[in-house]
Amino acid sequence: MIRRRWSAIEADEWTKEDWIAILLSPLCYVLITIGAALAILLQVSGYIMLAVGIAMTVFLHLVIDPKLKAISNEYETRQQDYLRELEAKVRWESIDQKAS
Amino acid sequence: MSVTFTFLDWLWVGLFLLLMVGSGILFYRLGKRSESDFFLAGRGLPWWLPASSVYATHTATDTPMWITGVIYKNGMAGIWYTFFCGWAAISAFVSTRIFRRSLAYTQAEWNVVRFTGLGSELLRGWMAGWQFFMNMFVLGWVGIAMGRVCEYLFAWPTWIGLIVFSLVCAIYVLAAGYWGVVMADFQQGVIAFLVIIIVSVWGIHTAGGPNGILEKLEILGELDRINPFAFTGWWSGDFPIAWFITMMLIAFLGGFGMGTTIDWYVEAQRIQSAKTVRDASYSIWWGTILGLVRNSVWAVAILAFFVLFPGITEQSEYEMGWFRLGFDYLPAGMLGFFFAAILAIHLSTISSHLNLGALYATRDLYQHYVNPQASQKRLVQVGRISTGILLLGSFFYGLIMEDITSWLIFALWIMAAGIWLPNILQVVWWRFNAWGYLSSWIANLGFSWLVVWILPELNLIPHLLDYQQFWILMILGAMVYFPVTLLTKSEPMDHLVHYYVMSRPIGWWGPVRKEAMRRGLILVSGETTLGAEEASRPADTYPNTP
Repeated sequence: MIRRRWSAIEADEWTKEDWIAILLSPLCYVLITIGAALAILLQVSGYIMLAVGIAMTVFLHLVIDPKLKAISNEYETRQQDYLRELEAKVRWESIDQKAS
Repeated sequence: MSVTFTFLDWLWVGLFLLLMVGSGILFYRLGKRSESDFFLAGRGLPWWLPASSVYATHTATDTPMWITGVIYKNGMAGIWYTFFCGWAAISAFVSTRIFRRSLAYTQAEWNVVRFTGLGSELLRGWMAGWQFFMNMFVLGWVGIAMGRVCEYLFAWPTWIGLIVFSLVCAIYVLAAGYWGVVMADFQQGVIAFLVIIIVSVWGIHTAGGPNGILEKLEILGELDRINPFAFTGWWSGDFPIAWFITMMLIAFLGGFGMGTTIDWYVEAQRIQSAKTVRDASYSIWWGTILGLVRNSVWAVAILAFFVLFPGITEQSEYEMGWFRLGFDYLPAGMLGFFFAAILAIHLSTISSHLNLGALYATRDLYQHYVNPQASQKRLVQVGRISTGILLLGSFFYGLIMEDITSWLIFALWIMAAGIWLPNILQVVWWRFNAWGYLSSWIANLGFSWLVVWILPELNLIPHLLDYQQFWILMILGAMVYFPVTLLTKSEPMDHLVHYYVMSRPIGWWGPVRKEAMRRGLILVSGETTLGAEEASRPADTYPNTP
């Protein structure tokens, strides 16, 4: 159910795993914040919200982490070239000038 | 109130300041190596370091005052106000990822990565100048808050608290740049979090523990204060549902964009200092949730303060509630530790804004517009000079802050309302161009003056509630930037394709994606991946679209 292996090409696309993270992440924030406050006040609703929030956070990271790793690995191979371009841009140089 | 410190208390304070200045000396050699080191720690940090910096920076001296204010006034429902940082929930997996891939040092620089031509340069210049000014402003604001805390505790004149501790902070920022900031932030984050827990638990215990707080709230007829959903109706009162929905929408959906809150500009630096895209995402996500959990603990402590001191009507008095819990109830010898934690809170914010403001001045203004061929040594020197200018400017702003607070709130408002949607559109819609974005800033500036100040003063419209202002400014702005965008040319396809291949943005990028695929620059699953050389080929060497 949780995809663990990503090729570089697949990881670069926006897929359902990203949307799961996008939807769950705000819920995690709300549940953990409100749950923690109410749990300190010994409210049962607080314990439940906090527990669900933590479980959801674990699930969120299980879903998105393999993909983030694949994106990072793939991007690292290109980063130096992009950085050279950025430096050329800040110095008003064309890319060819910089290369020479 | 005036607090008397023992030798042990001053020892805590002295040791803490020594530790912070020591960070600067320790990382001096790393900080001076290059512009990238002085401002981004060489882009090599594991996620937990920028995360601690995110947390520490957004725990400022005025944060406990502000959170105390909203919780004391609204009860637990006030905690929703603290969700203004909720944008990080979505951003961590969307705009953080896209921004990290752009590699732009600042949000101002991002404009020339996403857009091109004169419009993008105007945006870069404007944003860099605005951010330099805003950082100076924030430094003054936070600095004077420290001045007030010292006045409250020791009866010192406010300028002493404003100037002395900012000067100490400047030592390690000037010496080690962002290396000093992030290393000190880590220590400050740990100290501040521990002390926030200790003082809050102490306060809760003093009020009779959780059960004692609930019993006293019941006696006061205020039990509803523990209900986070205690709204005052749909449209009216101090806390209407309409405002709640507006706040949540602004906060969470803002994560699809860049710059939807002023905090983004600080986080942008942390994002670029992370060593990988994954580290950047986690730094934003975990740094923010740590801040939210801190707010939870604070909220309960403020309820404890409420039952200990109910019925305070003066805002300036109840806003100091959390500080009072510490200074009134902590045992002797711990007061200095508490004050050291307040200093940690203060220094982490000051250091971040000193270095961030200097980054905009150095990278976007000096290097790009004044001396493009500057050496790395020269750029670090300019970074230090800019830091000094920011420091002096912040003293000036801090000392006149009383007179300009309403202007400042207005300035922050224009950063949020009318440009909220354009800040998202620039990320998610390929057709949105530099002129559309620039026009949204200009339109928002004008409309904000009209809607917030001028028209109500002339009695042409009533004074509107915050959420009403937000929606009106958004609609008025859209009536300007949508026509401007559609009546001007889109960014050149070569530039857009290059940006798309590099950043892989989310949203409506169909035509650009199609063109990138046609050129063989991105492949669908099953095909061979590109080599780095081809993928990073400069935009101006791509074949033109037929």
